[in-house]
Amino acid sequence: MGQAHLFPKVIDLRTLERKKAIWGFIFTMPAIIFFAIFSFYPMANAFWTSFFRKELLSLKAPRFVGLNNYLYLLRSESFWNSIKATAIFAFGTFVPMVLFSLSFAALILTRKRFQKFLQMAYYSPAVLSSVVAAAIWLLIFDPRGLSNQFLNFLFNTKGIDYRWLSNENMLRLATIIVYFWKYVGYFTIIFVAGMASIPKSIHEAATIDGANRWQDFWHITLPLIRPTTLLVSVMSMIQCLRTFSTQYLFVQGGAPIKPIDVITLSIYNTAIRDRQIGRASAMSVILFLIIMSFSYLQIRISKTENITY
Amino acid sequence: MRQSVFLDIFIWFFLIVFAVFILVPILFMFTASLMSSKNIMRIPYPWISGEFRWQNYWQAIKGNDGKFFYLKSIWNSFLVASLTTIGTVLLCSLTGYGLAKYRFKGRTFVLLMILSTMMIPFEAIMIPLYLIVTNMGMQDTYAGLIVPLLMNAFGIFMMRQYLLTFPDELIDAARIDGTSEFGIYWKIVLPNSLPAIATLAILTFRSQWDNLLWPLLIIQSPEKKTIPLYIIQFATEKYTNEGAMMAAAAIASIPMFILFFTLTKYFLSGAELFAARKD
Amino acid sequence: MRWMTWFVMFWLAVIVCAAQIEITIWTHEDPNRTPLEERYIQEFQKMYPNVKITRVTYPSAKIREVVLTAFAARKGPDIFNMEIQDAYPYIVNERVAPVNLSVLGLKTFDELKSLYVEGALDAVTYQGKIYGLPLELTNWCIFINKKYFREVGLDPEKDYPKTWEEMVQISEKLVIREGQIIKRRGFDFRYPYYLTFLLPMVEQLGGALFSDDGKTAIVNDEAWLKVLRFMKDWGPNGRNLGSPTYTAARKEFNKDNNTVAMCLSGLYQIDRIKAENPNFYNSKEWMVVPFPVFKDAVKDVRCNYYGHYYMVNAESSKEKQEWAWRFINYILSHPEDYLLNVGLIQPKRSLIESDTFKNYPYAKVFLQDMERAHIVPLHPKGPQFEQLIKEAVESVMLTTTTPEEALRILKKKANELLKEE
Repeated sequence: MGQAHLFPKVIDLRTLERKKAIWGFIFTMPAIIFFAIFSFYPMANAFWTSFFRKELLSLKAPRFVGLNNYLYLLRSESFWNSIKATAIFAFGTFVPMVLFSLSFAALILTRKRFQKFLQMAYYSPAVLSSVVAAAIWLLIFDPRGLSNQFLNFLFNTKGIDYRWLSNENMLRLATIIVYFWKYVGYFTIIFVAGMASIPKSIHEAATIDGANRWQDFWHITLPLIRPTTLLVSVMSMIQCLRTFSTQYLFVQGGAPIKPIDVITLSIYNTAIRDRQIGRASAMSVILFLIIMSFSYLQIRISKTENITY
Repeated sequence: MRQSVFLDIFIWFFLIVFAVFILVPILFMFTASLMSSKNIMRIPYPWISGEFRWQNYWQAIKGNDGKFFYLKSIWNSFLVASLTTIGTVLLCSLTGYGLAKYRFKGRTFVLLMILSTMMIPFEAIMIPLYLIVTNMGMQDTYAGLIVPLLMNAFGIFMMRQYLLTFPDELIDAARIDGTSEFGIYWKIVLPNSLPAIATLAILTFRSQWDNLLWPLLIIQSPEKKTIPLYIIQFATEKYTNEGAMMAAAAIASIPMFILFFTLTKYFLSGAELFAARKD
Repeated sequence: MRWMTWFVMFWLAVIVCAAQIEITIWTHEDPNRTPLEERYIQEFQKMYPNVKITRVTYPSAKIREVVLTAFAARKGPDIFNMEIQDAYPYIVNERVAPVNLSVLGLKTFDELKSLYVEGALDAVTYQGKIYGLPLELTNWCIFINKKYFREVGLDPEKDYPKTWEEMVQISEKLVIREGQIIKRRGFDFRYPYYLTFLLPMVEQLGGALFSDDGKTAIVNDEAWLKVLRFMKDWGPNGRNLGSPTYTAARKEFNKDNNTVAMCLSGLYQIDRIKAENPNFYNSKEWMVVPFPVFKDAVKDVRCNYYGHYYMVNAESSKEKQEWAWRFINYILSHPEDYLLNVGLIQPKRSLIESDTFKNYPYAKVFLQDMERAHIVPLHPKGPQFEQLIKEAVESVMLTTTTPEEALRILKKKANELLKEE
């Protein structure tokens, strides 16, 4: 009798499991469809289009050109210039960004008062939109603007035009400053969160062992937040590789395009101004490969670095 | 001890100098928004000019053609950002819930597939995406702005991680009570994961509010423009002077600042859950 | 009885279909033109209540991107206009429809041509058909603020710059700097419209963008070099008289606020001064003089003119196309209004020969210059060539690149671009 009782219950459980499996599938179905349409298909499409010569306005069928678009890009001066502009911007931004946000976070946490205020102040530019940020900085970088006034004050000179928007290197620096200004607070907060999650007892133990603040930071905090540090650097690196708005708006504001013609801007112009969709797709594929290698790095790093307290 | 005081002062100095560097451009925007272009371009910059040109704000709101499109853009930005946020929160939490609490064939594969899309940069697929969206007839519509951004891998991943620790007892109890599977998600899971939802919502809202590249491609009609599009148009118009430009910028920033000050907690805690977003 | 039903149904169908005609028109922002054209739309809609016309404006810098994305998605507006060098690819790719002659009450394209001054429709003539009707033909001359001339002891009526060399000398006198920072510019160019103002400077010295057979680009190194040297000398690395990163001179000019003394602009600038700064307009402290020529010029070429032509989307329905041409024809039948209210020159014979035109202030200066000028070069890759010239000029003006090096790169890239099919 007892067995007869058990039997239907097992079946019940199985149907429940099956029911759950179906529901789990139903719940994830929208995401699968969504990503298939809006991520995988476009990626495959870009890959496919990159083998064709296609003019945006033409109603004629695109012509197959094999690897010609890629070969063209590898030989094109302006493409290498874009790679260079992107590399300079990405490295020039992410190194100071990581160093400064790390030190800001460490220093803010040593403060007993105004911690919240400082965090908010540093974070505030991140809530402005990029368009607004670029509009403000374009005025600041005007020859008559605050940036020249500041440098003239700092170096005690008079009326020197530091050519923020017209000198090649100053222009690069200008875009880097805008980006740094906008996102440094964001990364500071991430570090603050990372550092705050280190249990107090570890710091206390170190202090009892006679470590000073510097030693504590160097030997305790830094090693323990290494996953955060690595993640932040790769993350900010990828974000920098994808920069668009600042450069786009600076060029619209009259700055020469060449020093800041980053890949994304170049893709946009190749597609929208030059109407060469095939070539723009080839550039997209290359950008994808670059970013994928950085993402791969990110995933590998975060996998190997699992810290337990 | 003296050394420590000295160090302390130095740290304050360092932090304050950078706080000033970060706040000065914002202060510049607000002060310049009330000045004539002549004052803005004066050397040295008159921080306290005593000038209050409110007509800068009036010009920014009214627009150079007097059609008040800016008000419409502000509304559009709110509408698009809010709808995207609501959609993202619902869809990401649903998928995240499915992945966290249900066992089914290919679950790991689905998770990996979703995570792999984090590596596809938006810029790399923007043109094919644009052609798809136009083929679906969503060119120059709100739907065209919202639909392709409704889901992001990071949101799903974040919700999944959060829901992994969601108590199974609550779900099982509801199931025994005869609640449907969708009902469990709707009545039990969703209301009990507010912290993660708030964070995801803020991240989504902010990135959509800031979005420039996608609307630039999708939207043509002036009455459907979002704030960033309006501002870049306003900036290139012939009668726009620097003061009015800064007024338009200030107007665009005020709502986000209000949001930031009222929801500081979520903004600051959201930062730790950063990742690749489509922005 | 049956025929009655059919009759009613037929007319119902006509009314229903007719009521649905909606024409969209995308045009560039021109504050003085908007009220005028809005009025024509009202009048036209009153005449034909079944037609609804929606007019949308975009800033001139944005319109080409906007129209292009829409056309790429095959959702272009029914009517649009943009600078002819940007619109030309639409003709070549057959995206715009030829002028509907019967709607205009004409029989042949030659008949249409005869309504306009010589050559005015050449830019939109392609394989024997005409694809657009001119909204404006514009060339640029030099606008002068007389006050600042007198301030530095110059008589504007006599001492205005006739050559580019004089332009440098006079600008040196007019410029006010604080250290290296310019507070008032004498004159500044109209960056980045290099095909319009820079090319004629090259041609004055005997150079050209394309050879006569169209097979090579950047002809006559000496002429190009001299112009590039001139621009280098003008910029911050030379005499520091101006630079592309300052606010556009034509925008500052209207304000009369001591930031610029001369600028390069079209006849329409007069109406913009009137609208933006009536005091300055009424003070008569401004004047217009011809486009300068190099001292040792071999050819008297003045600033290139460019055109805006209203065009009709070839993918709009036949019916819409017909109504679109009817509407274009209606608004363009008021050339005098466009001249008097907006300062636009529509190259119709009837206008150019009218007294209104002859009596219009400075119209003569512009017309005389235009007679010695030609239209901006039309090429499907025109915008890309302009971009290359922009890069060359910016590199000599703003970086340490030598004019020789800049020319070498420009020549190489331009010829590569030309050879690409």
